[in-house]
Amino acid sequence: MKGWDWSSFLEYLVSFYLLEGVWVTIWLTAASLLIGLVCGLIAALLRMSKSPILQMPARLYTWVWRGTPLLVQLIILYTGLPQIGIKLSVVQCSLIGLGVNEGAYLSEIIRAGIMSVDRGQFNAARALGMNYRVMMRRIILPQASRIIVPDLGNRFNGLLKFSSLASVISLEELMRRAQMLTQVKFAVLEIFIVASIYYLALTTIWGVAQAHIEEYFERGYSQKNSRRTKTLARTE
Amino acid sequence: MKESAQPIVEAVNVHKYFDDNHVLRGVNLNVTEGEVIVICGPSGSGKSTFLRCLNHLEKIDEGRIRVCSHYVGYAEGKDGRLVELRESEVAKQRLNIGMVFQHFDLFPHLTALDNITVAPIHVLKKNEKEAKDMAYQLLNRVGLAKKADAFPSQLSGGQKQRVAIARALAMNPRLMMFDEPTSALDPEMIGEVLDVMLDLSKQGITMIVVSHEMGFARAAAHRVVFMETGTIIEEASPTEFFDSPKSERLQQFLAKIL
Repeated sequence: MKGWDWSSFLEYLVSFYLLEGVWVTIWLTAASLLIGLVCGLIAALLRMSKSPILQMPARLYTWVWRGTPLLVQLIILYTGLPQIGIKLSVVQCSLIGLGVNEGAYLSEIIRAGIMSVDRGQFNAARALGMNYRVMMRRIILPQASRIIVPDLGNRFNGLLKFSSLASVISLEELMRRAQMLTQVKFAVLEIFIVASIYYLALTTIWGVAQAHIEEYFERGYSQKNSRRTKTLARTE
Repeated sequence: MKESAQPIVEAVNVHKYFDDNHVLRGVNLNVTEGEVIVICGPSGSGKSTFLRCLNHLEKIDEGRIRVCSHYVGYAEGKDGRLVELRESEVAKQRLNIGMVFQHFDLFPHLTALDNITVAPIHVLKKNEKEAKDMAYQLLNRVGLAKKADAFPSQLSGGQKQRVAIARALAMNPRLMMFDEPTSALDPEMIGEVLDVMLDLSKQGITMIVVSHEMGFARAAAHRVVFMETGTIIEEASPTEFFDSPKSERLQQFLAKIL
């Protein structure tokens, strides 16, 4: 048995090689969430349209992308698509894979948020002569955000961790960097514990940021609803 | 009361169904500019539904409604048939009509001032200063100048409704509609809202008010309309309406509420 080596552990704790991976994890997560938001918003609005023809693609999208594993989606993108002539880079596959997958989940969150807005708000907005775009942008979506943002925060937390799946298609984010390092340095336990510490730091820092963001969206409601929206860290 | 060639509201034979429920059964109503109409009747009579049909928040199934000479929600096609308009075009038609709702429906994420300025700025494209100046004036008019920066959750029911009235007025509508504006208020706050409405009525604004407040009807209305089970049973001046009702159903209704 090799045993735990404190000096190795401390060495890798400040390893630039791993920290570069952390940086990739951060921007990968943020970019994927943004892509997911765009996809999710479009899908949510389509899903709520009066025409069944417009609803169809949205329903199909959420069904398929929520019904299959993210890992499989990533592998299809990177190793499967080239077979039919679509060759995307590792970064593109990671972003598309994570982003589009996330969008399927976000579309349901966004839809729930919009539906939670009181019907009277729609009537009041329309009565003032607002068209659909102005009504959504100024009245409905800001209110829906109050419901959406806590969930969004939790999704970001999940994405920070799910980004590690991109290691399977060899994107050099934190997990992949950790793996590669263990192949050279063999301090397996130390390196993966360090990686875990980095992930924990990211999710914890995000938790604090999330609390502040939620507070911002709660303004105007604080008098009536004195209970704070709790951020439930959901295990995925 | 101004005499106008064309009535501001012309409703002819309006029918509306909610699934099998025949809610409006041939409503005919004309309102001339400057008139104040109070509509009363038992709940379920279709009064609120009719109001929402006037600005196309509800679609009618039969009949025609013209407000300010437009078929709200429709355009007249070549062969005289009505063609449904796109939502963005209906939105423009609604600029003529202001509406105040029973449950206020203020925008909770905006201050009182912003509630009033959001539509003038983003629909009428007014610049911010102009809109805010007008909003302050309106808040003053309804007695709430000090509450400009309060959020709706910090206001009482009566205050909320007065902000709602200011919000509707900010769009400069030719017709103001009130859907049971005091029904959701605690009794001590009803007066402050009715005072604002009375004030408005004296300024020549055309008003259609669905309400049970008979005192207001007597003081402000030019005509009182009684609706029951989807039709207008009787309409008359306030004195005739309350003191010498002609139809039996109106007599029964008045006996119950007075």
